Amino acid sequence: MTGQGAGVSGRAAGAWYGRTAEEQGRGAGDRERPAGAAGEVNDRERLARAALARVLEPGDERGGRWLRECGGVELLRRITARDGSAEQLSGMTAKRLAGYRLRVETAEPGRDLATVAAAGGRFVCPGDREWPSQLDDLGDSRPTGLWVRGRPDLRLWALRSVAVVGARACTPYGAHMATTLGAGLAELGWVVVSGAAFGVDGAAHRGALAAGGATMAVLACGVDVAYPRGHAELIGRMVEQGLVIGELPPGDHPTRSRFILRNRVIAALTRGTVVVEAEYRSGSLVTARCAERLGRFTMGVPGPATSGLSAGVHELLRGEGVLVTDAAEVAELVGDMGELAPPRRGPVLPRDLLDAVCTRVLDALPGRGAADGREVARSAGTSADEALAKLYELHSLGFVERHGDGWELTRRPTCNDDARRGGT
Amino acid sequence: MGFARACSVALVGVEGVVVEVQADLEAGVAAFTLVGLPDKSLVESRDRVRAAVANSGAEWPQKKLTVGLSPASVPKGGSGFDLAVACAVLGAAERIDPASIADVVMIGELGLDGRVRPVRGVLPAVLAAAEAGYRQVVVPEQTAGEAALVPGVSVLGVRSLRQLIAVLCDEPVPDEQAPHDQGRPDTMLAGLMVPGAGMGTGIARGSTQGEGHRPDLADVAGQARPRKALEVAAAGGHHLLLTGPPGAGKTMLAERLPAILPPLTRQESLEVTAVHSVAGILPPGEPLVSRAPYCAPHHSATMQSLVGGGNGLPRPGAVSLAHRGILFLDEAPEFSVRALDALRQPLESGHVVVARSAGVVRLPARFLMVLAANPCPCGRHTLSGAGCECPPSSVRRYQARLSGPLLDRVDLRVLVDPVKRADLMGQGGRGESTATVAARVREARARAAERLADTPWTTNSEVPGHELRTRLVAAPGALMAAERDMERGLLTARGLDRVLRVAWTVADLRGADRPDASDIAVALELRTGIPRGAPMGASAA
Repeated sequence: MTGQGAGVSGRAAGAWYGRTAEEQGRGAGDRERPAGAAGEVNDRERLARAALARVLEPGDERGGRWLRECGGVELLRRITARDGSAEQLSGMTAKRLAGYRLRVETAEPGRDLATVAAAGGRFVCPGDREWPSQLDDLGDSRPTGLWVRGRPDLRLWALRSVAVVGARACTPYGAHMATTLGAGLAELGWVVVSGAAFGVDGAAHRGALAAGGATMAVLACGVDVAYPRGHAELIGRMVEQGLVIGELPPGDHPTRSRFILRNRVIAALTRGTVVVEAEYRSGSLVTARCAERLGRFTMGVPGPATSGLSAGVHELLRGEGVLVTDAAEVAELVGDMGELAPPRRGPVLPRDLLDAVCTRVLDALPGRGAADGREVARSAGTSADEALAKLYELHSLGFVERHGDGWELTRRPTCNDDARRGGT
Repeated sequence: MGFARACSVALVGVEGVVVEVQADLEAGVAAFTLVGLPDKSLVESRDRVRAAVANSGAEWPQKKLTVGLSPASVPKGGSGFDLAVACAVLGAAERIDPASIADVVMIGELGLDGRVRPVRGVLPAVLAAAEAGYRQVVVPEQTAGEAALVPGVSVLGVRSLRQLIAVLCDEPVPDEQAPHDQGRPDTMLAGLMVPGAGMGTGIARGSTQGEGHRPDLADVAGQARPRKALEVAAAGGHHLLLTGPPGAGKTMLAERLPAILPPLTRQESLEVTAVHSVAGILPPGEPLVSRAPYCAPHHSATMQSLVGGGNGLPRPGAVSLAHRGILFLDEAPEFSVRALDALRQPLESGHVVVARSAGVVRLPARFLMVLAANPCPCGRHTLSGAGCECPPSSVRRYQARLSGPLLDRVDLRVLVDPVKRADLMGQGGRGESTATVAARVREARARAAERLADTPWTTNSEVPGHELRTRLVAAPGALMAAERDMERGLLTARGLDRVLRVAWTVADLRGADRPDASDIAVALELRTGIPRGAPMGASAA
């Protein structure tokens, strides 16, 4: 897996950048094109893929290879027909075939398509105009097709999307950061993608919705199933205002492994993945590692070093991950050229601008009371003349005052930060 | 043929109703009837009174005797009517002058030997009598101190019926033997302290144990933020939630909260004493509770034990015992959901209304709530390297046990980290003492009270939101951080009001005229539990 991953990574990264601009252009043009025109998969293929979505588990690489080699219609025919053609597929064993056949018996693609259509959804297949082709980076483990609920165009949204993932049992800090990131990214025009789970996922979605922005949930169950149940309302809002997608056919329920496999879709779909809070053993780190293999950006939001819930994030940051603290920094990393976060640094204090000798002379002045020029020169380690010259310079800048022969620091109002430094 | 009346007081919750005890003697077969909704212990009064009168050297009238308690509709219970019944009977029998007892309120239980035993709830009873216009009360000697707290009432403490008869007839008062001999247990106190009533409530622990060990804030090592939260809670009357792993010191912190609260005012003391007197947990020899009570019920407490309940007429629960003090709920998620949600009404209104078969009772319950919770069932969640194995769903469930509406009333939510070795062992870890913090709290409270002088509120936590947005406004620009959080949906409108309230308290503690940006930052940090780099030291100025 790792060896292959490295290969995919290099290819994918190149492919990604080559594609972006071109696709954005094409995507925009596509919108005016009537449905059913070139760029749409024909109905037979769509029906076959919808059936195969019930037969092949997500992430079934062998099935993905057959699908690539002989197409959906032919693969479904081979599995269904008992003419021995299925056995000729490389890697097909009698046991596997029996398993597929058991499943294909119950597959009713027509009904599935109708169910999702009734819920205001559609089934998007590779080859469709709306298919987000960055999913092809997953190779043979790319989804058979995606069930989509929500009005916006999946392909267009996925082009400018970032995943925000993290622990389900997050701390208030995690929820706060996820919400802030979600809202911030949405304000910058990014689509926030996550898994609709409790904790960080939900917070990220909510943040984006609160900012009136775009957000997309990738479910590990059928798109008509609201899982977790407690997020039924949130998922409902995303269907109204955003997108809810999943590779599992309607009515299917999530399992442990499906969550993990769902994460590869989140990673592949987005330009980068931000992990907000994750333990060492966390599904969010699976997403991050997957994103890393696919050549996407991996980012982490740091937490307290004492928090076990941030330990996984910190481990990620020690490796390939990039530390981010807000949406602008995420956008700078995953965004286009010139999309930079505002520069940040502490305030520039007047005394920072002084030259070295001046600083030394200023430091040499006592905290309270006056000193004469020779004393200042002695403690500053410079000649009396130079010290005097610098003292006059400082005087004109307002740092020191002259009282007869003595020099004294200017008293400033205590609210001034600079004065506190100078005064103590 | 004789008729006489005396007065006594029936308790409904912590409020008293003056009851007229009428005795009527008629010719006929000797009998004794008691009417007017008496309960079991009051019906037994007949036998006690008969024996006590006989043993006090008076003659029991051998006639048809009827004793009525009016108003007849108020349910009455307990043994406190004995003294009034005995006097009414003796008045009717013309052993004593009926006119001398007509306007005297008498409270006390009689022993068979004629001694007067103390009863619970003397203070609220005497308060009710005074309010109704009675000027003379007779109470058992042990509770005379309690009764004397009520202004404008002359109190007579008696040891026995014999003494009372002598006083009423202007005879020489016999000197009863001291209520208890040296070295023998004082049987008289049995009626005053109800065993079990105060269990798990830890009422006024400091005061019952005298000046022995008093927990001091200086014992707490490190914990800058929780300490600050404690101080803010005490100064502004804000409810507090402490979250942290076991052993981090949540209970230790909560136990030190009563001591930094300002001492009770006279009015508050009377309220608290009345509740404690009714509950039967007023320590003998200490008629007036002057310090904030501390009540820490165990997490197995039922809803009834928290808000008040029991058969017939409700008795005060933990929320009332914590009136004007601290209600500490340790392991808050372990409490039953029903019990926790029952706290919402008293939190909002400052009293509880409990209905039982015998009547509806309104009990005072204005308390400062302190919740302590572990982050998950095993308590190690979020700790680095501690190996919490609770699945996320169970962590979530555990945290969700504290319902949203309840948490919404909690202004301060603070994480208590496990104490660090350096803090524990280092000499520098020793923090400020209770006395220092208490002085600051008193000043802050005074400042707030002065500002709110012409309003119905006294502490910042009571000020309603619109007041904070219109009349009492923060420094210009101070709210930027909070407003940004609100835009992001991190803070609700109600949450913003809470932040403002806390910010006012923080400003009061600092001695500032109004909250500025740093006060808002501290308030946001204390309200949301998310570090913002706000200064948490004692000298936050």
